[in-house]
Amino acid sequence: MKLIKILLSGATALSLAACDVTGEGGNGRVDTDKTVDYGQGNREKSLTQLVAGVWVDPTGCDHWIIDDGVEGYLSARLDKYGKPVCSGVAAPNTATGAYKGNQTINDPL
Amino acid sequence: MGFHFSNMKDRLAVAGMALAAVIALAAGPAAADSLLFDRGGITANERYEPTIWVDPDGCEHWVMDDGFEGYMTPHVSRQGIPVCRRGNVCGVMKSDQFFATNSHRINPQGKARLTEFFNETQAVSYIITGHTDSRASDAYNMRLSQRRANSVASLAKSAGARVADVRGYGERLPVADNTTHAGMAKNRRVEIICIR
Repeated sequence: MKLIKILLSGATALSLAACDVTGEGGNGRVDTDKTVDYGQGNREKSLTQLVAGVWVDPTGCDHWIIDDGVEGYLSARLDKYGKPVCSGVAAPNTATGAYKGNQTINDPL
Repeated sequence: MGFHFSNMKDRLAVAGMALAAVIALAAGPAAADSLLFDRGGITANERYEPTIWVDPDGCEHWVMDDGFEGYMTPHVSRQGIPVCRRGNVCGVMKSDQFFATNSHRINPQGKARLTEFFNETQAVSYIITGHTDSRASDAYNMRLSQRRANSVASLAKSAGARVADVRGYGERLPVADNTTHAGMAKNRRVEIICIR
């Protein structure tokens, strides 16, 4: 799977480099708009739609990890006080997509 | 990549930056010039305006895609506090209902309610933070809030829950006005964050 992905992105890079030297993605729109998920062919979508899993770093703390097929994203998971969230959801150095999001706020106490 | 200013706004912005740089470096206009234009393949001031991605906890991240690379970083205030659209605080314990004044021991009724809470919630793990009102000293309140948070954490553990962190913030993070009785009562609390 990974190998195919690498080959595909390599092919994409070559084809785009050949047709557009001022900037890949959206035929140059990427120069002025960095808010679109480029490299998806005709299936470009807004970056607000990305779906994340959790990657656990060697310390045991969580990061949001997104692999949209071409780009990779990684960003720290922080609690409301700004401290790292080290949930223990998975072992260090692993990624898990078994994340159940969309929790709602309730206050049973 | 090079500069492409497709609209007047961008041109004006760059003109403004140029002016600011010239003013800031009035002694050396040549240095100001090098801040703004490509020199030896180094691009300065290329426009990188992010959009916002909201994580499953409800907190914002800055995100950009410049063609093949993607970039992301948490959106935090200058104080380092994440900007969130909703929180994942899933329980706020009113301390008056669980602890006697100055005590960190949870009363039997409180223990039963908490055990039920942890059994029902079944989160991946919990972050437990204690808070007080502003009476007594800051140092005393830091200790009391930590002791109360510890009590809740050990009960959580005995109910089979995983505790990710336990902290006492004392009187330093009030949620209400400490000059009124109602406000102080609201500030006396233990917050439970549920990590899903």
